[in-house]
Amino acid sequence: MADAPLLMSLFHKSTDTAEAIDALHELGVLDHKIKVITGVPYPERAIGRHVEWLRLPHIVLAGALAGFIFGLFLSVITPHLYRLDVGGHPAVGFPPAAVITFVFTMMATIVSTFLGVLWEMDFPEFGHKYYHKLVTDGHLAVLVEYPPSLEEKVRQIFEQHGGHHIQRPERQPL
Amino acid sequence: MAKAAKTSVEETPPEEGVRRWGMVIDLDRCTGCQACVVACHAENNVPVVGEEESARGRSMHWIRVERYWEGEYPNVKARFMPLLCQQCTQAPCEPVCPVFATYHTPEGLNAQVYNRCIGVRYCANNCPYKVRTFNWFRPQFPEPLDQQLNPDVTTRSRGIIEKCTFCVQRIRRVELDAGAEGRDVHDGEIQPACAQSCPSSALVFGDLNDPDSRVSQLARSRRAFRLLDFLGTDPAVIYLKGGETNV
Amino acid sequence: MSDQTPIAGEEEMAELSPDLRDEYEGRLLLAQRKDWEINEAVLRPMMETGPRFWIAVAVLGAIVAWGLYAWGYMVYYGLGAAGINRPVYWGLFIATFVFWVGISHAGTMISAVLRLLKADWRRPITRGAEAMTAFALMMAGLYPLIHLGRVWKFYWMIPYPNNRFMWPNFQSPLMWDMVAIFTYLIGSSLYLYLALIPDLAMARDHTKGWRYKLYRTFALGWRGTEGEWHKLHRALGIFSVVIIPVFLSVHSIVSWDFAVTIQPRWHSSIFAPYFVMGAVYSGLAALATILVVVRSGMRLQEFLRAEHFDALGKLVMVAGMGWIYLWFAGFIVEWYGKDPVIMELIHDEISGKLAPFFWLQMVANVLPVILLAFRKIRTNTKMLLALTLLVNVGMFTERVLIVVGNLQRNYLPFDWGSYRPTWVEVSIVAMTFAGFILLYLLFSRIVPYVPVWEIKEGRLRYSLRRIGRLLVPTAAEIE
Repeated sequence: MADAPLLMSLFHKSTDTAEAIDALHELGVLDHKIKVITGVPYPERAIGRHVEWLRLPHIVLAGALAGFIFGLFLSVITPHLYRLDVGGHPAVGFPPAAVITFVFTMMATIVSTFLGVLWEMDFPEFGHKYYHKLVTDGHLAVLVEYPPSLEEKVRQIFEQHGGHHIQRPERQPL
Repeated sequence: MAKAAKTSVEETPPEEGVRRWGMVIDLDRCTGCQACVVACHAENNVPVVGEEESARGRSMHWIRVERYWEGEYPNVKARFMPLLCQQCTQAPCEPVCPVFATYHTPEGLNAQVYNRCIGVRYCANNCPYKVRTFNWFRPQFPEPLDQQLNPDVTTRSRGIIEKCTFCVQRIRRVELDAGAEGRDVHDGEIQPACAQSCPSSALVFGDLNDPDSRVSQLARSRRAFRLLDFLGTDPAVIYLKGGETNV
Repeated sequence: MSDQTPIAGEEEMAELSPDLRDEYEGRLLLAQRKDWEINEAVLRPMMETGPRFWIAVAVLGAIVAWGLYAWGYMVYYGLGAAGINRPVYWGLFIATFVFWVGISHAGTMISAVLRLLKADWRRPITRGAEAMTAFALMMAGLYPLIHLGRVWKFYWMIPYPNNRFMWPNFQSPLMWDMVAIFTYLIGSSLYLYLALIPDLAMARDHTKGWRYKLYRTFALGWRGTEGEWHKLHRALGIFSVVIIPVFLSVHSIVSWDFAVTIQPRWHSSIFAPYFVMGAVYSGLAALATILVVVRSGMRLQEFLRAEHFDALGKLVMVAGMGWIYLWFAGFIVEWYGKDPVIMELIHDEISGKLAPFFWLQMVANVLPVILLAFRKIRTNTKMLLALTLLVNVGMFTERVLIVVGNLQRNYLPFDWGSYRPTWVEVSIVAMTFAGFILLYLLFSRIVPYVPVWEIKEGRLRYSLRRIGRLLVPTAAEIE
């Protein structure tokens, strides 16, 4: 809802941030309407947020499996398609097939981890987003979307917990 | 004699009755005259690299006569050992090639595909006999050598490995002729250039799978041994031990 | 400004004796710093490029250009322009290739292994290490191309259906090599990049002009929401686990290039662990060398402190012990076996033509292990620089001895030979060294060299805890 009022506040301390978020919860603001932006990776629970469930491990496993199958295909099937005999070796031997299969499994795992995490983060995502540049200087930013009737209370909560730069968030080119 | 000579060797499936080309080299007969080396150069369009490059280890003989001295002066003996590709059954050079430029033909020949070679020289490193030669530079055949190039054999480009083929062009020609005439290839009908030119007939070529061939008979000699046999390469070249007859 | 800076509360700091306070101030993760101070300390040296920097770039660029000319010369005239011959079919190129692959190993070692072990001293050096991995691999990756007889046909090693009905041979260690190095290059580059995204966002927030555009593009729109951090952490965790077997396999595969042959002294089952250990040893030493140089060049004394060199020096020492152990384990078996070719090679090394190289290798690899046992030497950057350079002289010599030395002898004495590199080989090897330094120099001015967010995270972890009368630094379990 682009029309719902938004408010962003910066905080100095993670404890204040967590308390402010608790207060917002009590006020009835839904958890997914709150966004915390930090320059340092705080554990979610430290600032009173739930831990998001990730699909990443599944993507990685699927990638690994695909790589394994592709590696097997290359090292076990294709030598029969392009059959040429080399001195004393069978067309497919276990050690070379194991090496090739292993390496391709790893390659696919790595690439799928990378693509998977970009996909989970919806990256690359250029354009204008709500952000404050002081975040990378150590401030914690809380972005909240709330029903218009709660405007005053939200502001109060922020002010009570040491929030500063409380304002309508600006969309910044990222 | 091969029991079933087919008209087209390429179509011969790897089964019984397939030939196993081999060579017997009688060290007692070798005089170290190097005629085989010259013949090989002429037959296979092997470039001559010259003195300077040769001294740097860039000579390109497909067959060379290795000379070893035995004893201390004045009681020295020179021993000669013609060394060519041993056409190993378990060829160490073959599996290491990344692009299958060298592989095993159904007849047990260790084939080198010049067009396919990209020049990693891994095969040459893994060859315990060091009989693979590399084209360090663009091969040159200064006049009048270019007039005597063998049209049956391709010339090679720089940057690739080449090696003894047991004069595969001669093998093919005899096989095709025999096939056209509807007969089998006779033992001794095929002669690689080195064997043909050997004045003392130290080199004998033939089918090791035919128990009656001359090469098979010689190979059963008590003097027979294979070079670096302990490596398990199973060579198709069999040496007959030299006695006191060497120079 | 923010809450992670008061590592110890004001009152606790006041309680500390002055020398203890100094000691804690000397620890990167305990020192009283604001986040913006850290940002600035990282960003400032990136922007400042003095004349010395540009002279270095020009000189290195000239060496690279000369090396490219030498390469072109060799491609045009044939590999005969190099010193390789029969039986030394592989020479300085392959030796340097092994060397560079070895150098590339410490990056992952430091970054992935220490991340998994939660060793906090890794924090300021992971990026430098990862960049070293990526660039060393790029240089290593050139050699399989350079040493090809027909480099223009290199793509025949790539498995793709084609009208020649030809296929690469997956039984060849060179194929394993190619895919393994490619995998490692992809893996280490992505790993480097992933951990870089938040810092690129930080740089984006503090720059203008072309830098802003660059960082904005590569930051991919990073804001630092908790979801992004969470996903980044998970991905880095997975990467750390996955890349360790890859880094072990890469150098094992490189060693199998040699070990699967039947060349005496190459055909050895200890080669894989021996190469891996040697790689870690030379890689860690190279990292220490680089860090000392970068620290003085970019004035990063703030981030690279005695504690880091101390820990790194210990790691170099341990890797060196491992190298000595594995070298000896291989040597004793060869020596006892009395195989005539191997004995010839051993004699050549110990008292023959190769003796100067062999003894250089031993001294250069063993001496640092002994000296680095002392903390004073580890934390003295000049000594550390000298010793780690010495290690890499030793390791380079070791690669040359393994590749060239062993190829000079084989089963048939008639085919013994010797090897001497030509100007072409020396130029090309110099090209990769210069190219590596050049890439690294440019990288250090374009990308935040110190992983800012990792340091900030580490600072979040650290506090002082009272145990009896002592206030001791303690790390919190927050990762």
